Amino acid sequence: MLIALETLIGGLMLGALYALFGLGLSLSLGVMRMINIAHGDLIVLGAYLCSVVMQMFGIGPFLSLMLVVPLMFVIGMLLQSLLLNRVVGQGTLSPLLLTFGLSIVLQNFLQETFSADTRSLQAGDIALRGFDLGGVSIGLLPLLSTVVSVIIFAGTSWLINGSHLGRQARAVADDPATARLVGVDDRNFYALITGFILAVIAMAAVLYGIRTPFAPTSGPERLLYSFEAVVLGGLGNIWGTFIGGVVIGVAQLFGAKISSGLGPFFGHLVFLVALLARPEGLFRRIQR
Amino acid sequence: MSDTPTIMPAAPNVLRTAMLPLTMALIGCAVLVALPWYASFATQRLLVEGFTVFAIAMAWNLLAGYGGLVVVGHQMFVGVGAYALFASSNWLGLNPWLCLPVAALVSALFSLISSVPMFRLSGAHFAVGTWVLAEMLHILTLNTSWLGAGAGMPLEALGDFDRWTRNAGVYWAALAVGLGALAIATTVLHGPLGLALMSVRDNEAAALASGVSVRRAKLSLWLISGTMTGLAGAVSYMNTLQVTPDATFSLNWTAIAIFTAVLGGIGTLEGPLVGTVLYFLLREVFADYGAWYLIGLGMLAIATMVVAPGGAWSLIARRWPIDLLGVRRSMPPL
Repeated sequence: MLIALETLIGGLMLGALYALFGLGLSLSLGVMRMINIAHGDLIVLGAYLCSVVMQMFGIGPFLSLMLVVPLMFVIGMLLQSLLLNRVVGQGTLSPLLLTFGLSIVLQNFLQETFSADTRSLQAGDIALRGFDLGGVSIGLLPLLSTVVSVIIFAGTSWLINGSHLGRQARAVADDPATARLVGVDDRNFYALITGFILAVIAMAAVLYGIRTPFAPTSGPERLLYSFEAVVLGGLGNIWGTFIGGVVIGVAQLFGAKISSGLGPFFGHLVFLVALLARPEGLFRRIQR
Repeated sequence: MSDTPTIMPAAPNVLRTAMLPLTMALIGCAVLVALPWYASFATQRLLVEGFTVFAIAMAWNLLAGYGGLVVVGHQMFVGVGAYALFASSNWLGLNPWLCLPVAALVSALFSLISSVPMFRLSGAHFAVGTWVLAEMLHILTLNTSWLGAGAGMPLEALGDFDRWTRNAGVYWAALAVGLGALAIATTVLHGPLGLALMSVRDNEAAALASGVSVRRAKLSLWLISGTMTGLAGAVSYMNTLQVTPDATFSLNWTAIAIFTAVLGGIGTLEGPLVGTVLYFLLREVFADYGAWYLIGLGMLAIATMVVAPGGAWSLIARRWPIDLLGVRRSMPPL
C-alpha cells in the first residue's frame, strides 16, 4: 500500500514535468493550429545550452537560466518569423513536414556538436536530498519541479485568460483574418508566442536535465509525452494539459512497477485507451 | 455518341502511339529481370534498397498525398511486415520467399486492427498518434523474448541457399514489390477509389455531399498502403538478414519516406519515383559526411517545403507539361 502511494506521488511529480513539456505544444496547437515535431528536440537543445552556460561560467543549472531563458526566447522568435510563419495556417501537412525536417537537423546538429554521449546537469546535493512524510519518501527535486510547473501553469493560464496579450492570443486562435482587421499583427504575435514557448521549454529543460541524463536523440520521446499530455487534456485547455501530463506520469511509473522496461509503454497504452473512450480529450474545450 | 465514328480512322495511329511506350516498358522490365546475370552483388543490394524504399515512399505518399492521412509512425508497417516474415520462416522452418504472403497477410491484418484506434483521430493528432502506436510496438518487441527481445532475430532459412540464389531471389522479390507498388498505385488512382480520394482531398464536405464514403475510401487506402509497406519492409530485411527492434521500428523509415516523397513531390505518382532517384544519388555522393549529410538532407526538405512545396516533379511538370502515368483528370468536353 505504501509502495503504491509512493508510486502515485512519484508519478504525480513526474507528470508535472511532462505537463511542463506539453505546455508549449498546447500553446502552438491551440493558438497557431500547428504541431511542432521538433518540440522535443528543442527541449534537449535547451538542456544542452544550460550545460554549455554552466561550464562557461562555472555556475549551477538554475543560475544558468538567467542566460538560457532569454536566449531561447530569441531563438523562438527567430524560428517563427524566419521559418515557421511561412507555413502556419496552411493545414496539417506543411507545418508537420517542415518541423519534421527541423527535428532531423537539430538532432544531427546536437550530435555533431556534443557527440552522441549522454550527459546530465549537475545540481549538487539538491538532486539527491529528500524527506520522509509518514513513511513515504519524497525527493526534493521532483517536489521542486512540481511547484515550478504549477507556478508556470498558473502564470500562463492568467496570461491567456486575464491579460490583454491573452485576449489577442484567443482572437488570433479563433480567426487570424479578423484579428488582423482589428489591429493584431498575427505574424509578429506568433513570433512572440513561440519565443514564450521556448522560454518555458528552457525551464522545463533544466528540470529535466537534472533529473534524467539526456542525449541528442532524446527529443522524440519528449515530444511524444508532451503530445500525449496535450491531447489527453483536450485542445485549448491549459489546465487540461497539466492533468494530461499527470495521467501519463502516473501510468508510466505504475507500468514500470509491473515490468521495468514497460513504463513508457503503459503511458502510451493509457493514452490510446483514454482517447478511444474520449477522442476529444478528457476535458472538452471550454465554450465561451 | 455521335463522335465515335470519327475516332475509327485514327485507330491504327492510336495503336502505334500506344505500342511504343508498351514496348519500351517491356524491354525495361526484361533488362531489370535479367540483372542478376550481368550485375554485381553490390548493385543488386543497392537496387533492393531502391525498390523497397520506393514502395514505402509510394505507400506513404498515397496516404498523405491522396488520403490526407499524414503518418509519422509509418515504420510500424515496416516492422510488422519484417517481423512477420522472420518469425514465420524461423518457427515453421519454411522457405522465406513462401513466407512473404504471410508477411503481407499479417500486415493487412495489422492495418485493419490499427485503423480502429487511429481513425478516431484526425489531422496532427492522427499523425502523432500513429507514432505513439509505432513506439508501443517498438517497446513491446524490445521486451518480448520469443521475438529475440533487443537482439532481434536472424533469418535462419536463408543460410540454406547459395550466395547467388540468395541475392538474385531477394532482388527479384524487391523488383516485384517496386513494380507492384507502381502498378497498384496507378490502378488505384485510375479507379473509383482514386476519384473518391481526390474529391475528398480537394473538398471533404463536397465529397461527402456527393455520396462519397470518406471513411471507406480512407480505410481501403490504409489497408493497401499498410500491406504494401509491410511487404516492402519484409523484403528489405531479407537483404540485411537480421531484424532488431531499434532498427526495424526506427523513425528513420518514416524520415526516408517523407524525404523521398517531399523531394519528389507529394500527391503525385511520379513524385516518389523522382524522389527515390534523388535520395539515392544524394546518399551515394554525400553519405560519408555522416551527421552533416543528414543535416543537409533535413535542410533540403525544409527548403523544398518553403520554396517548392510540390517538389521536384512540380518543377519538371511546370516546365514540360507531361503526365507520365496519366492519373490527372480533366473536365470532359462540354
